[in-house]
Amino acid sequence: MSTERPERRAVISGIGQSAIGRRIDRSGFQLTLDAVLAAITDAGLTVDDVDGLAMFPGGGKADLPGYANGNLYEVQDALRITTTWRQGQVEGMSLPFYGAVLAVATGQARHIVTWRTVKEGSAARAAGGRPAYGSTHPAAEGPLAWLLPVGMLSPVCQVAPYHTRYLHEYGVTRDQLAWLPVTQRAHAARNPDAVYRTPLTVDDYLASRMISWPICLYDCDVPVDGATAIVVSAADTARDLRAPVRIEAMAGVVDGRPSWEQWEDMGRVGYATAEALWARTDLRPADVDLAQLYDGFTIEAVWWLEAMGFCGTGEAGAFVEGGERIALDGELPVNTWGGQLSGGRLHAGFGHTAEAVRQLRGEAGDRQVSEAEVAAVTNVGGFEAGAALLTQWSR
Amino acid sequence: MDRTRGGTLEGHVDATVGIPPAVTDETAAFWQAAAEGRLLVERCSLCSAESFPPRGMCRSCRGRSMTAAEIIGRGVVYSYTVNHQRWLPGLDVPYAIVLVEFPDHPNVRVAGRLRGCPPEEAAIGMAVEVGFEPGPGGYAIPSFVAVPVVAPPDRGAAG
Repeated sequence: MSTERPERRAVISGIGQSAIGRRIDRSGFQLTLDAVLAAITDAGLTVDDVDGLAMFPGGGKADLPGYANGNLYEVQDALRITTTWRQGQVEGMSLPFYGAVLAVATGQARHIVTWRTVKEGSAARAAGGRPAYGSTHPAAEGPLAWLLPVGMLSPVCQVAPYHTRYLHEYGVTRDQLAWLPVTQRAHAARNPDAVYRTPLTVDDYLASRMISWPICLYDCDVPVDGATAIVVSAADTARDLRAPVRIEAMAGVVDGRPSWEQWEDMGRVGYATAEALWARTDLRPADVDLAQLYDGFTIEAVWWLEAMGFCGTGEAGAFVEGGERIALDGELPVNTWGGQLSGGRLHAGFGHTAEAVRQLRGEAGDRQVSEAEVAAVTNVGGFEAGAALLTQWSR
Repeated sequence: MDRTRGGTLEGHVDATVGIPPAVTDETAAFWQAAAEGRLLVERCSLCSAESFPPRGMCRSCRGRSMTAAEIIGRGVVYSYTVNHQRWLPGLDVPYAIVLVEFPDHPNVRVAGRLRGCPPEEAAIGMAVEVGFEPGPGGYAIPSFVAVPVVAPPDRGAAG
């Protein structure tokens, strides 16, 4: 195995999650500690082994109530450890573990815990509904200055015109794409930690409340309370670890305009990221056994299917229609935990990464994919995107 | 026609509930012109290319000498959405939002509301006129006006 690339010198050693639900009566700080401690134990490590910390989002960025929680200094204080590497914004190149991998690969730390805590479920409930994006600020700054004032008050409204355009350009229908949330719900039924587990049909989807045409309720991820922590360790500590997972390749690209209304075309950066990713590995799309594709909205997972080369551009409607290909026993099981659409908006690739690790370890319970050796994880989409291939330790 | 007016055009809802823009040195001219019903973008005095949103740097040649240019001609809807969700208390829904491009201004795309037709009549490729209407915080916001589709002239009909 090549050791040239930094991601080959790191592993994902642990994952941990707090309770996850529409409302968890526990502070964001306690949810954070629950997940962090669980991840360290899951890695086979102790708190004193940890010498690096990172969280998302850093700098208190909070465009939505419940979006940002806790403070890295206070978590380090609670854990009573010393760190030699620390980062406030772990979504570096749009992967939760990107910065931590580079840090352990360059010897800045040995074991780094990175986490994401959301209290968006409680916040939405307290506000009497999902609040407007940016409503935590008195005025719309940066790229949002061109969106919020004209009534594009949520990422739903901001991504929706590209969903409209996608249907128009490729002749794909909402009936076809409905199979993505419908199939993910079937996966969630097998995940005891998912927030929505009751069966969903295409008819349910088509009859559901319109949020911002053509995006309906079931196209939107579910605001929840919960924390996910991931431990990244130096690969040469493997003998100390319970069940490490390899990082075959990772990549992130930001090359589009950072304004939702200015995208040159749909999925643009997903393509650049996927190209960068495939250039770092000998594996091909056909080698991937399961895919955890970012699904803030249905259409984002659609674009990832095409950008990653799992199907051709404009072909995702036919690919997901009927659900067989993306089912747990299909040729490419997608979002096997229910994704953010049914599992909950754990955000920033944390929920997707945790599920990929579970599957590759064979620890995914009733939803275990057989012979899961290679998993794709993607995050975000639009003007910035990250993607990785994780592989079984023994592969 | 007063292009800053909302008025009683068909399919129009109030747009004043919302979040106003934070105005910066780069964007002040845009919002000031918007209050006068004019759509301003940047034009490069070196290569004449237009850029939007304003950055003080040309997107074509990276020149730093930008002047203001007004978009006057009709635009074409690149894509749209119809928002049904009441994201803020008192928000009037539904309304259509359009991303508009301009055949004579290849580097410009502007997001705005759509009026002059029911929101469900928004369509990719439809022609719109530049317009503004009262938005949040006393700002005038882009609000494009649907151009009625004119039926082919029927020479036989009276009047």
